[in-house]
Amino acid sequence: MSNREASVLSPEGCVRNPSAAAVAGKYWAIFRTQLVNSLAYPIDLLGRSLLIVLFMWIFMNLWQVTYGATGARSIAGLTLADTMWYLMMAEAVMLSKRDLSETITEQVKDGSVAYLLNKPFNFILYHFAAGLGDSVLAFGGNLIIGAAVVWLMVGPPPGLTGWIFAGAAVGLSWLLDFCFSALIGLSAFVVEETNAFRWIYQKFLLLLGGVLIPLDFFPAWLQTVSLNLPFAWIIYGPARLFVDPSLARLGQVFLQQGIWLTVVGGIVWVMYRRAAARLVINGG
Amino acid sequence: MGRHLAFVAALWRTNLLSAMEYRVSFLTQVVGMMLNNAIYFVFWIIFFARFEEINGWDLVDMLFLFGVVATGFGAGTYLFGNAIRLSSLIASGQMDYYLSLPRPVLLHALASRSNASSAGDFTYGLFSFGAAVIFSGTFNGLMLLRFTLGCLASIAVLISFLVLVQSLTFWIGNTSLLTRHAFNAIVTFSLYPITLFDGTAKLLLFTLIPAAFIGALPAEFVRRFDLLQLAQICAGGGVFLFLSVYVFYRGLRRYESGSAIQVRM
Repeated sequence: MSNREASVLSPEGCVRNPSAAAVAGKYWAIFRTQLVNSLAYPIDLLGRSLLIVLFMWIFMNLWQVTYGATGARSIAGLTLADTMWYLMMAEAVMLSKRDLSETITEQVKDGSVAYLLNKPFNFILYHFAAGLGDSVLAFGGNLIIGAAVVWLMVGPPPGLTGWIFAGAAVGLSWLLDFCFSALIGLSAFVVEETNAFRWIYQKFLLLLGGVLIPLDFFPAWLQTVSLNLPFAWIIYGPARLFVDPSLARLGQVFLQQGIWLTVVGGIVWVMYRRAAARLVINGG
Repeated sequence: MGRHLAFVAALWRTNLLSAMEYRVSFLTQVVGMMLNNAIYFVFWIIFFARFEEINGWDLVDMLFLFGVVATGFGAGTYLFGNAIRLSSLIASGQMDYYLSLPRPVLLHALASRSNASSAGDFTYGLFSFGAAVIFSGTFNGLMLLRFTLGCLASIAVLISFLVLVQSLTFWIGNTSLLTRHAFNAIVTFSLYPITLFDGTAKLLLFTLIPAAFIGALPAEFVRRFDLLQLAQICAGGGVFLFLSVYVFYRGLRRYESGSAIQVRM
């Protein structure tokens, strides 16, 4: 069978195509299992969300001093409150996303990838569904704790539209981020060590993605460069939508996310097909 | 003392020889970590290009800060690589091996592993210090001496803090989450200018999360000599070192062997 996803053997031995609903149901079950698994350890979930308090506290000190020193009420159209709410959303997305590149790398290196490849699901989609189950809960925890802290620091959050628009964009952010994770993980088929790629990707997200500083504060040329790279649409897009929601901005974020998903997702797909074809398993 | 030093030097040599068996992997991690740090530092270049200074700190101060922290962190976690996984050694009963040999348990456990990526941090730190010296336009032999002393103090406080936090495993069992948060907190706080924080926060950074002893204090001392800062650095290093050794050995009395069969290669 050339494509395990598109066709399975029927009980009669004929090849039949499963419906889209059946395929979706399979990954929904994986997602739900991971969700229930994470819910089984609520203290751990809460504990992991405490990290956002540390970052928000440091950011508050940094930007309070900076706004105070400039004497301006707003910088690049963002007030101190806008900046803090932006950073809260950026950190919530960053801290919730599951970095699956390490898991995939280990599975490739130790050969356990072989046990997942012969299962009736797609290796890449399996990891995405499982990672998403973990991310959804972590995102909820980070949002609740992060929002409570920032509310105490600078006042109430943006309106309901911001929450809805940002929430919609975050789903595609995770998908785009997962494509990069998969790319890094699958590179273990070719190179011995993938840690360096992972660190550098993380730092691109911190800097060019706008986790440490809103891209609006960049010099114009660097802002243009950043907005033409995919990292901005993983973090900056949803976070900026959160503090300044508009249909035009939402359309722009979706468009950019769609373009980059097609490009990076396409590369992942090709790489996965080639890697799976080249896979050699020794032993039994 | 000399015997212990020779023993630790032998461990470090073995770790290096082991890393050299996978040269490409080692070099990839070193270069990757240097790039990683350099990209992170671009944030401060962008920041100071727009805002010039924050409460008296400028880009050159940040170069000194990154120089001390990266060199100290890199050297500390390279030479005492198990300092970042001590809690898992304790929780999984892997201290049996170190307890069964006639060498200082803590020293042996800490120095038995080296992290390749830490060599990248160390090298980046030296580059950052070099850049700081060039941009500040002030360099002499005494500054190099102060840098060495500052890094040694930074190593002492960082490793002691990690040992202290993870020694809690002897009393409360699994501390992996606490260790992760403590590690993140100490590294993050040490990389920000101390002038951002007010009185209460500063007290926290000199005691509960002693990031000031790892970053800001030694970095300021490297830039200009101050007798009070020298005393603070030495006292901080000494106190945390003593505390960590004391707490670790107190906890070790409560250690329960896993009785697992372990293979070391």
